[in-house]
Amino acid sequence: MTAAEVKTPPLPPAPSAARWPAPRPARSAARLVWLHLRSRRAPAAVLALAVCAAALRAVVHWRLTSGGGLTQQTPMILEGAAAVVIAVTTHGPFGEAERATGRWLPCLRLGSALALTGAAIGLLQLGVTGASLNGGVLVLARNVVGITGIGLLASLVTGGLLAWIPQLGYVAFAEYALNEAWRNPWTWPVRPPWDRGAWICAALVFAVGLGAFTLRGARSRLADDG
Amino acid sequence: MTAVTTLTARTARFRPARALRLEIKHSPVVWALPVLAAIFYFNAYRVAAGFPPIWAVRVSVITGANLVFFSVIGAGIAAWAAAREGRRKTGDLLATTARAPWARRSTVLAATTFWVVLAYLAGVAVIYIQTALEATWGGPPLWPVAVGVVGVAAACAIGFTGGTLFPGRFTAPIVAVAVFVAWFVAVAAANGVQNAANGMRGTSVLLVAVIGRPQNPALGVFYHVAPDVSIAQVMFMGGVLLAAVGLLALSPAARVPGVRGLSFGSAGRRLTVVAAVLVGCGVAASATAFSLTGTARNSFPTGWEIPALHDAADDQPIPYTLDCTGSAFTVCIHPAFEPYLGAMSAALEPAAAEIAGLPGAPIRAEMNSGVTAQAVAGTTSVYTYSTEQEGYGGDSFWATPGMARAAVWEQGVQQDFITWFVSDSAEPDWSGPTPAEEAVAIALLAKVGAPIPQYQQFSGPSTSSGGSSTVGTVGGSGAQSGATAAQITAAAGRFESLSSAARRAWLAANITGLRSGAITLAQLP
Repeated sequence: MTAAEVKTPPLPPAPSAARWPAPRPARSAARLVWLHLRSRRAPAAVLALAVCAAALRAVVHWRLTSGGGLTQQTPMILEGAAAVVIAVTTHGPFGEAERATGRWLPCLRLGSALALTGAAIGLLQLGVTGASLNGGVLVLARNVVGITGIGLLASLVTGGLLAWIPQLGYVAFAEYALNEAWRNPWTWPVRPPWDRGAWICAALVFAVGLGAFTLRGARSRLADDG
Repeated sequence: MTAVTTLTARTARFRPARALRLEIKHSPVVWALPVLAAIFYFNAYRVAAGFPPIWAVRVSVITGANLVFFSVIGAGIAAWAAAREGRRKTGDLLATTARAPWARRSTVLAATTFWVVLAYLAGVAVIYIQTALEATWGGPPLWPVAVGVVGVAAACAIGFTGGTLFPGRFTAPIVAVAVFVAWFVAVAAANGVQNAANGMRGTSVLLVAVIGRPQNPALGVFYHVAPDVSIAQVMFMGGVLLAAVGLLALSPAARVPGVRGLSFGSAGRRLTVVAAVLVGCGVAASATAFSLTGTARNSFPTGWEIPALHDAADDQPIPYTLDCTGSAFTVCIHPAFEPYLGAMSAALEPAAAEIAGLPGAPIRAEMNSGVTAQAVAGTTSVYTYSTEQEGYGGDSFWATPGMARAAVWEQGVQQDFITWFVSDSAEPDWSGPTPAEEAVAIALLAKVGAPIPQYQQFSGPSTSSGGSSTVGTVGGSGAQSGATAAQITAAAGRFESLSSAARRAWLAANITGLRSGAITLAQLP
């Protein structure tokens, strides 16, 4: 081999590079977000939230549970149901492999959780527009936010798919607290809309849950894998 | 060869038990047990502990909130367990095993139901042991346990069928929430007929147990609690259980992994026939229970009766012997309420001593069922009281025996007793004491250390400030002009300041006129 043989002309640009257009950051980000949401079944979750809103509308409109504490209890269950749906979307199908793919995952988790929480509040409020909901939108929003926080925290321990158990457990406890007229701020579903302590507790649980979920993500190995 | 055959046969016989043992060992319900324990503690244990130690009253929690919340979690967990093969992607692997898919799935369902029912029964045991330690009369009713167990099992079967037919990440929570909402909608309807009038016709909402305390703290004390409604509830929920299991067996998902929907085809004809029979029996049982509750009648004091299931012996009063204490003034109570006897005696004896010797003063107090009207003061020597009467104080028998030993409870008993003595409170059309009766009662109560009862004038917001509230027709007599709380209190103060002899002499001469409403506030000494 001589030096002349080594001195080869530079290679032309790869045909593939010419074929593909330069990546557009916004489009890529949108695609990334969409893929993330799809992997979490977010579209189905939005549908489930709409069903919750329709059920809430039906309960309030036809007064299916009117009388006594039940007037407040059944809307609370449906608000809890919306929070449960959000918690279930925290489960990712890719497990540990997904965590090694890039630095955007925490942002995607944060964004999806916030967006679904907002969608839940919006859809539920849309469902009861024009109807008389006990406590109004403030109690609705506080319940969704607080119980979602419980679900996000639980997803770190049980995984997203089983995070509904502590959430429904809390709703069941709130039913008891409502019947017994508890006044503790951490029983926020039974407190009046303007109660500052209840708001602080619900927001704190949501903030802690959201922060932990953003940083660590839901447990990927299912809790009942034995 | 024979030995090998025998061994194989024995192994085959134990195979389902071994599979069930493995499923029980790895059941996901274990993860929900802490939540179930917390739910039981708050919604059943604490509620029951706040009830009087009467069997039927305490046990009402196990078919109320406890059944609802165990059903919710049980249904969700069962749906989760049903979707396990798809979630772990073991469907193809398991399809190659010798065991039929329906047998495999029924084992999973059995293990899930086992855990949830076991947890439920553990809670029932806690309630029963606690009640047995405190109750002084009666025995543990078993029909509520049957209702609870069948209800929880039915919820598990519904959840498992849902999880089998529609596997997915949202199935388990949606099934749980659906069961939750369905229970509460049904409970709202059931609570609506709890205070039904005598003779009211039955309704299908009787198939659902009510949540909350029963109507009467003496439930099952003076009359049996007829099991008619419980039998109908077991029939209905048992029918739902059978239908859900039948649907599960009809599903190809229980036969061929990865397939959804129902199948009435020929694949496994024997299984199809058995499943169809199960569904048919389940629907028939539920429909029968549904129609039976429509024929129910609410009768006082025994409660809801279903003629086709009713035993007339349940209508007879339960015989009992009163527990009594005291010599000068004897206080008697039903043995079921024996823990309250000390408090009743401590409350009534000083009040009775204050009026002893006056015309019509009672020498004995007795608890009755409340079915018969209370005797009018002055016409009897026995003051009767019941768990149903609503008085002017906080002396409800919904209080626990520990709460009954508090001064406020005893003062409530004294308030009712003295008010009864000075007025015609047992008259059918009586709607409240007159101002003069109130003043005398307040003075007598002050002598025994009891506060002013919640009479109409004293129950307003201005009571503590001296009482300026005026009612046009005070009490129910309407025969006297309105009087303010301050005027009544002033008259009571004057009467109280009399010497004991003067007060007794005035009462001996005027108690009949006072009761009849002839004496006005101004005529009091």
